[in-house]
Amino acid sequence: MASIGQTVARTPSGEVLSRAQQRAMLVPDCLVEARRIANTVIAGWHGRRKRGIGENFWQFRPYSQGESLSRIDWRRSARDDHTYVRDREWEAAHTIWLWADLSPSMMYKSTLGAVSKESRALVLMLALAEILARSGERIGCPGVMEPVSARNAAERLATAIMLSPLGEGLPETGMIRGASDLVLIGDFLDPANEVMGRLGPLARRGLRGHVVEIADPAEEVFPYAGRTEFTDPESGEKLTAGRAEILREDYQRAYRARRDSLGESLRHVGWTFIPHRTDRPASEALVAVHMYLSGMPTRATHGGQL
Amino acid sequence: MIGGLAFAFANPAILAALVAVPVIWWLLRMMPPRPAAEVFPPLRILASVMKREETPSKSPWWLTLLRMLMAAAVIFAIADPVFNPRSNTLASSGPLALMIDNSWATAPDWERRVEATSALIDDAEAKDLAVSIVFTGDRQHDATPASAAAARTRLAAAAPEPLPADRRSALAALKTAFDTSPPGTIAFVTDGIEPADAKTMEALDQIGAAEIRVIEADGGQAVALTGTSNESIGMSVTATRLKTDDRRSLSIVAYDSRGRAIADGAIDFGLGAAVAKGTIEAPFELRNDFARIGIEGAATAGATHLLDDGFRRRRVALLSGEARDLSQPLLSPLYYINRALTPYADLIEPRETDLAVAIPELLEQRPSVLIMADIGRLPEETYPLLAKWIENGGMLIRFAGPRLAAAPADDPLVPVTLRQGERALGGALSWSEPQPLADYPANSPFAGMAKPSDILVKRQVLAEPTADLVERTWANLADGTPLVTTSARSNGRIVLFHVSAEATWSNLPISGHFVEMLRRSVQLSRSGGVAGEGKAVQAHTLAPFRLLNADGVLVAETGNARPLEVQPGKTPVTTPDNPPGLYGSEDGFTALNLLPRDAELKPIDMTLAGPHIVERLTRAESWSLKPALLTLALLLLIADAVIVLFMGGAFSRLRMARAASVLVLMVAAGALFTPQQASADDTRPDDERILERLDTTHLAYVVTGEDEVDRLSESGLRGLTDFLTYRTTLEPGAPVGLDIMRDELSLYPIIYWPVSASAPMPSPQAVSRIDAYMRAGGTVLFDTRDQFSSLGAASSGTSPNTERLQAILANLDIPPLEPVPADHVLTKAFYLLTNFPGRYTGSPLWIEAQFENRDEPSNRPARSGDGVTPIMITGNDFAGAWAVDTNGVALLPTIPPDEMQREYAFRSGVNIMMYMLTGNYKADQVHVPALLERLGQ
Repeated sequence: MASIGQTVARTPSGEVLSRAQQRAMLVPDCLVEARRIANTVIAGWHGRRKRGIGENFWQFRPYSQGESLSRIDWRRSARDDHTYVRDREWEAAHTIWLWADLSPSMMYKSTLGAVSKESRALVLMLALAEILARSGERIGCPGVMEPVSARNAAERLATAIMLSPLGEGLPETGMIRGASDLVLIGDFLDPANEVMGRLGPLARRGLRGHVVEIADPAEEVFPYAGRTEFTDPESGEKLTAGRAEILREDYQRAYRARRDSLGESLRHVGWTFIPHRTDRPASEALVAVHMYLSGMPTRATHGGQL
Repeated sequence: MIGGLAFAFANPAILAALVAVPVIWWLLRMMPPRPAAEVFPPLRILASVMKREETPSKSPWWLTLLRMLMAAAVIFAIADPVFNPRSNTLASSGPLALMIDNSWATAPDWERRVEATSALIDDAEAKDLAVSIVFTGDRQHDATPASAAAARTRLAAAAPEPLPADRRSALAALKTAFDTSPPGTIAFVTDGIEPADAKTMEALDQIGAAEIRVIEADGGQAVALTGTSNESIGMSVTATRLKTDDRRSLSIVAYDSRGRAIADGAIDFGLGAAVAKGTIEAPFELRNDFARIGIEGAATAGATHLLDDGFRRRRVALLSGEARDLSQPLLSPLYYINRALTPYADLIEPRETDLAVAIPELLEQRPSVLIMADIGRLPEETYPLLAKWIENGGMLIRFAGPRLAAAPADDPLVPVTLRQGERALGGALSWSEPQPLADYPANSPFAGMAKPSDILVKRQVLAEPTADLVERTWANLADGTPLVTTSARSNGRIVLFHVSAEATWSNLPISGHFVEMLRRSVQLSRSGGVAGEGKAVQAHTLAPFRLLNADGVLVAETGNARPLEVQPGKTPVTTPDNPPGLYGSEDGFTALNLLPRDAELKPIDMTLAGPHIVERLTRAESWSLKPALLTLALLLLIADAVIVLFMGGAFSRLRMARAASVLVLMVAAGALFTPQQASADDTRPDDERILERLDTTHLAYVVTGEDEVDRLSESGLRGLTDFLTYRTTLEPGAPVGLDIMRDELSLYPIIYWPVSASAPMPSPQAVSRIDAYMRAGGTVLFDTRDQFSSLGAASSGTSPNTERLQAILANLDIPPLEPVPADHVLTKAFYLLTNFPGRYTGSPLWIEAQFENRDEPSNRPARSGDGVTPIMITGNDFAGAWAVDTNGVALLPTIPPDEMQREYAFRSGVNIMMYMLTGNYKADQVHVPALLERLGQ
């Protein structure tokens, strides 16, 4: 009997990138809510609808005493008796850190799922990068890529992942300064309190996080029957179930309980939690993240569940 | 036997067990099947809800088949199928008589002989016949027919003996046993070797058996070594063989005493040749290490030839009167002897410089030869020891030198009477020329060596002419004066080379002839060591030390071997009482080999026998399928185990990693618990004082026992110490008074010895220690303090102090002396001095005479002698002049009262100390102007 689930090879990032760009095309530009980025000073593409550092004209205003003479717009001032100063619109970018868990448990694809969890996670990550880069945000990946603000940020992220593959577990996050957004994509199969033990400190540092939980349908519905030996791809531990079908109910209950508890804890610290199944289109999760990032938390479709 | 097939089951009843195989089939099907393997990332969640439960299920059919095959194989194996079952053709008219050779030649195939014999015994048991068994290697024979079980026991107890077969007594025993009732079958399991003038088959025929069966080994492959001889290029080995109808090449190997193969050669037998010779080519030094010769691939006592220590290297002890061995090796006489003899002999040297200790210590190691280079006088108590050792067979080789030349004429350890002093050939005041060597006399061991043309002797000691001097001479100079003389003493010998062993007297030590002369002399000596005490080694009987067993291995168990009787002129032979091996003790043994020299192996003459059957040991043997079947079953079991392990997933990567980590942990734990290193506490109570003395240089004086003298010595040396500290960079510590019986002398560069006739005479041990101190490089300054008192002494002209000094020096080995010459480095070591006054003036300072450079052109301001004089003698009372009290005021007036003389006395002391500490360094300094000029400065 062919097995339902299998471990798959790592997906080449080039292939993921092209798929991610396709997904990203479907999603409109993302304008990250500017509520929390008042103090960011690095120039971005978003006009902030107020005076500040930027390229575009905002307004002329009368010169006031004490300002530098070099700021006077002489062409405008020549037209009448007043002297004017040209103000520009403040354009600022926001930093968004993307991270996908590529631990062995992610290299899993069952016959029920369309792609492996790892592949889906990468697609999501790069698609997000594409969308956000299109909007002029600064994209970073902890431990892999410093934040960059470039139109080809998704390509650069794909190249960076190819050169230094993402490790297992959450990387060093010391370089993430406050007022950034963090998008974590993974399967988060560890017990909820362990996951929260790792994420809690980040939340307390003021980061805003969005957790995308990727699950294979086989993990959720448990379609096994008969004598089955289960292997954990991460620890290599084995469990042999004499008749797997009698475990299904209990397992599903435990699985949902874990997911609920994790989601509840995350919302509690102000983060968002998006469960996603690999048999669903990736765009679903993408749109959900996009909306959270844009500050529209109302109508998230949670991959068809919840 | 089943039908025409040579195949039978020994236990056919067991085959009934095959019925059980279907039951096994049913039982074996109960095995859980292999589970479907699934990768499942959320295993932890699954584990939290899972309960253990296992359901038996069916195992695959092929695994069951495998197990049934295994069971069937075991059942068949127990049923014991046999191919070629042998038939029982013994004559049943009487008992079975067995005569079995258990000589050395049966050792390689003894197992097969036992098998063949026990098959015969089985046959006899089946026919209910009594069995009589005799072994030709045994001493007693019991040929009485007995039960087959008893015969089997005796067969199991028998083993091949390292002896030739002795069939006469065995045949006699058989004949007696079957005198009245002749045996049915007589079987003779033979090695095929006929001893000289024995007619075995004829005698066998006369016993009157109904059937005679001769069971032989296959090829008649017996080979044996019969002798060795040492030849110029290698060791020649003789071998003999039994079967002569082909060509054969044997490789022979020489082993050393530890059993390592160190050389090899080959022996080629021609067609029809029973005896052949071969050579093991090896250098002389290597051949000395041969302990036994063996034939490769033939592990028998006959194919092993033991060598005794006729081939061994000699142990040679070396003694020298010189102290310069370490610092200037090329000037040490032992250097040349060492280099010449190292390839041919084991050299031992004493650890102590004190001859009174060193000589007994050396003799205890039982050397064959003792070489003494330039020793004029030995401690009194060692003479009887040495004389005894020489009488017991030791060989004493002596070399002349300045000390021997100066020694008194009554030395008992020289072969000829010597004239005192040496003779110099050539030089400014001599008409004679340095002499070459003459041809070696015919009675000399050196005869046959080419006459050396390039050796010139410049200096030698001369023998008093006597009537037998010619016979005692081994080598002459061209003018007929002897160069090497010898004399036999009881079992031993004394040899004297009339030149020194280093290259100052002649260039002999640096020529190849020196090596050859020494080698030949040493080879004359008795090997195996000579005891220093007790009576001479003239063993009539030698206890067994190591014996050969039949496999040609030396073993320590001597069993019931008797001591070997060695009679002059008779070669001992191998008997049951004296099996081949080594007889004697570890220090010296005689080898007894199985076959005498020039023996030859001859086959048994079969033409003498009556009608008989000849069988081979290896015929179409019956063989059992049992082992093969059991092996098959075991292999199936292993295969089954591996399959089950695979099914259970035991070879997954994780388990391996776990096993490896456990292993690493165990190794680490082992490393943690290794015991700590401990070191023994080897300090001695006197160590601290010695370390204190080693920190700074100290002047030392001998405590004579007379308070007045000792006080003066102490304050004198203190005065000199102060003077040295003021005037030179040398800042010695406080003077030290020495008890020469007990204190460590080697810490002090010079020892001041005020000789006093009224003080107690030092003991011989004390003098011996002083001798060792001087030999080890120290210097003793004897001060008789009698420059003026000798004038008023007795008419003999010597003062009591001088007489005492003579008494002390009589037991010391001292070199020839001379007053300090004007160009000696002592006169220039720090101050420029012409004489060495003390409290008195006028007495010369005597030091070791220097011969070497006397005839050099004397344009140099100082002579550079090598080394430092070990002795200085003066009568000027140095300490009296140096003595100051604690305020630095002189204690004693000088005679005559001249303060400049005191100043010169101090300067003499400074020069002596500088000379002690720097040696001939100052003499080398005189080249400084020339060196600077050459450097262009």
